[in-house]
Amino acid sequence: MTTGDVEILLVEDSAKDAKLTLHALRQEKLANSIEVVEDGEEALDFLSCRGRFSGRTFKQQPRLVLLDLKLPKVDGLEVLRIAKSDPRTKAIPIVVLTASKEEKDLVESYRLGVNAYIQKPVEFESFRHAIKQLGLFWLVVNQPPPNSAFQP
Amino acid sequence: MSGANRIAQRIPRGESSFVESEVEKKPKLFDGSIVSGLREAVQFISNILESSTEYSIIGNDLEGTILLWNEGARRLYGYAPEEVVGKANSSMLHTPEDVRAGKPQQLMEMALREGKWEGTINGLRKNGDKFTARVVLTPRRDAAGKPVGFLLISKDISDEMQAESEIRKLNEELEQRVAQRTAELEAANKELEAFTYSVAHDLRAPLRHVDGFSKLLQEEHGQELSAGAQEYVSTIRESVLQMGALIDHLLNLTRVGRKELNVQVTGLNSLVEEVVADLRRANPNRDIEWKIQTLPFIECDPALMKQVFVNLLSNAVKFTRPRSPAVIEVGACREDHHPVVYVRDNGVGFSMKYVDKLFGVFQRLHRAEDFEGTGVGLATVQRIIRKHGGRIWAEGELDQGATFHFTIGSHDKGPVNPLSSGGNR
Repeated sequence: MTTGDVEILLVEDSAKDAKLTLHALRQEKLANSIEVVEDGEEALDFLSCRGRFSGRTFKQQPRLVLLDLKLPKVDGLEVLRIAKSDPRTKAIPIVVLTASKEEKDLVESYRLGVNAYIQKPVEFESFRHAIKQLGLFWLVVNQPPPNSAFQP
Repeated sequence: MSGANRIAQRIPRGESSFVESEVEKKPKLFDGSIVSGLREAVQFISNILESSTEYSIIGNDLEGTILLWNEGARRLYGYAPEEVVGKANSSMLHTPEDVRAGKPQQLMEMALREGKWEGTINGLRKNGDKFTARVVLTPRRDAAGKPVGFLLISKDISDEMQAESEIRKLNEELEQRVAQRTAELEAANKELEAFTYSVAHDLRAPLRHVDGFSKLLQEEHGQELSAGAQEYVSTIRESVLQMGALIDHLLNLTRVGRKELNVQVTGLNSLVEEVVADLRRANPNRDIEWKIQTLPFIECDPALMKQVFVNLLSNAVKFTRPRSPAVIEVGACREDHHPVVYVRDNGVGFSMKYVDKLFGVFQRLHRAEDFEGTGVGLATVQRIIRKHGGRIWAEGELDQGATFHFTIGSHDKGPVNPLSSGGNR
């Protein structure tokens, strides 16, 4: 589903991590439509509606982006910087989901305007719990930005 | 004798104070000296001039014609007195560049105006060598105070300049070496950071996968597995969690090493209370008697100091598990005017035989089956204490409890039982 109403964009280069994340999200029935991209370049293509995502429009932005930091081609912090500096994508909630708890990554992410930062727990139970909380909050509790928020 | 003659000859009458005082019985040459007559006065001055071999002393008239030339001048400039006295102009003592720039004239004008000029000049020797001289130029005046010429006292400071420039050069080289070493250290540090970063990211990821998929295996295919197979899967997951904790603790240890201290005056009682409250919440079923004495305010990094208490007090809670009630005491005493903080418990203790293993990374004195742990906690505590310039040591007896003492910022007299390194419980 590349042109429809994608609810969550999962930016994750590890197929295993993606599988576990999707499993947790689907188990909680939190998202019907999840797009997975494997590197930062694809993530930017998706958000900017270009490349293989040129069929998308800025009016169909996802309700949540789950962003890994360590990514091939363009790293997560760079994706965050570009997405948060473009008025057409700035309002999209972006949550960093990473193995790193390094202070510099936290500082840089928040400076760039990340909406939340989660360190992936090693224990699957905690990981699933974190994903569930995250999905519940951003897709159920939170009021998403209206379309007008994505206009330049 | 020749010096005295030269001087007598070349100083015109009426120009010099001792010549005028010739008529007096005991003429005063200058403050603090009395000479009996002209001959003695001339001899006196002559001695001064001729023994000043390190200093060139030159007298000239207002036009610059040299009238007086001592031994120091001969050594410095290379001319014999008979080559220059009455014949040469003092401007020839300057380099041609300075002469062209009018420097000798300017110096004389300044000396006349200010009463004296002091500074360095570029001197020129008879053989053409250039050198740097420190110079004092003062006007000579007649009895009426009218300037009649100058006295030029100079000293070759080329050697000093050379030494100074060598010191400067050495300093520059030293600075360069320091900069280079610093750059190397920074590079090594960066590498270490990159390493810990990839440990954090890359080692945790496969662990997460092992745990995640074995959990899914249990959940979705548990019924297809025999009891033995299910136990294997549980064991796999336990080990994964253990390794995850190890990695986290190791990362924390390296982070403590890299962190800069944010020192402020900190009340230890409030830190300890926070930690105790957390431990009470985490162990609701334990019967623990906490004895918290009045603790000092010390200068330390509060976040790191809290970690010290978290580790020491969690250890105390852990190793008193077989006790009811467990008694855990935190107190302070003074030793050599420095506060010593201690944490004491009535737990399973340890044998002093292994005390030197206590603070080492991955060192454990108990079976993992009895007391869980990664063997990094006390190493982290020791690193924090050492970062604060303090020391930590332990006393214990098997089955009789353990006491940990630490000081902050006292490098002097060691404690009764100092441990340079050590291990874990």
